[in-house]
Amino acid sequence: EDALLPAPQNISILSTNMKHFLTWSPVIVQGETVRYSVEFQGEYEREYANESWIPISECSLMAATECNITDDISATVAYNLRVRANAGTRRSEWGTLTGFFNRITTSLTPPLMKVIADGYHLLVELEDMGPAFQFCVLYWKKGQESRMQQKMVKEVNSVVHLDTMEAGLDYCVKAQAYVEAINRSSSFSQTQCVRAQGGTSLWL
Amino acid sequence: GSCRVSMSITEIRSGFNTIKANIQARDPIRTLSILSYPHSLHKVKSSDRCCVSHQLFTFYMDKVFRHCRTEDSYINRKISSIANSFLSVRRSLQQCQEQNKCVCGQESTEKLKQVLVNYEELNVTAAAMKSLGELDILLDWMEKES
Repeated sequence: EDALLPAPQNISILSTNMKHFLTWSPVIVQGETVRYSVEFQGEYEREYANESWIPISECSLMAATECNITDDISATVAYNLRVRANAGTRRSEWGTLTGFFNRITTSLTPPLMKVIADGYHLLVELEDMGPAFQFCVLYWKKGQESRMQQKMVKEVNSVVHLDTMEAGLDYCVKAQAYVEAINRSSSFSQTQCVRAQGGTSLWL
Repeated sequence: GSCRVSMSITEIRSGFNTIKANIQARDPIRTLSILSYPHSLHKVKSSDRCCVSHQLFTFYMDKVFRHCRTEDSYINRKISSIANSFLSVRRSLQQCQEQNKCVCGQESTEKLKQVLVNYEELNVTAAAMKSLGELDILLDWMEKES
């Protein structure tokens, strides 16, 4: 067999908001295109399936040095990951991620949020961060932090109605993301405050 | 005491739904059920739910997933996802069992024996594939009871 290619180096995971990417440094071979293949191994494969590895077809013989492994990392267990280089008929040994990856370590960012005063209605619009996400929304009358109210939002397909506001008062809102699958929350977003938009005159 | 287990049934179900038709198409024997014959899981007493869940998750880990490897890489990846999720949940159920919160009554012990009898009626691959195809029966029962 031809001389072996060097194995990919600097293999690491970028994981934010339950989106997980495997990345590595390119293997340089003068005058040739190097392609890469990625495989994963969950705890089940190690304990029940003879330590078998499973190829990720979307990341087989590809030129990029990044693979989206989100769909395959869909359990809260420890995963092994590895990548190999190919050039023509030659290929490298496997380069394996140092240590396991468990999605419980994903970094969670606070949700983007827009607070709306629609007349006397206090509304909030939340970023759609994906199916794994729920949101804890806290809201209160400015100056009355001790009487904070909470609303859990499970789906973000529409604007959420929080409260009916009293005229002339400022209402403040902040939110955090929560992922039930890993039982973790992000930090809170910046607080946003609004005032009711209602007019002063009243028809009786 | 009661056993509290964190489990994302939605996530497992969505993974299963993407392969359900393919898996069930591999099961030619429609007249026999592994999980529901002769009695439905819904007849299990709520006090036995933890134990039956633990035993059924063990059944799937030991006797089902490992015999369901297919020629289709996508199917194998989804089975891996489900199997790893089951492993994670079974670990929690195992802790409950070790704390004696997960005891099986007589009726449930019979039910679990019947599942194994149904399984052994078929050859291993056919029984494993049928059991995998019945995963939504298990998920429905767990979701309804939770």
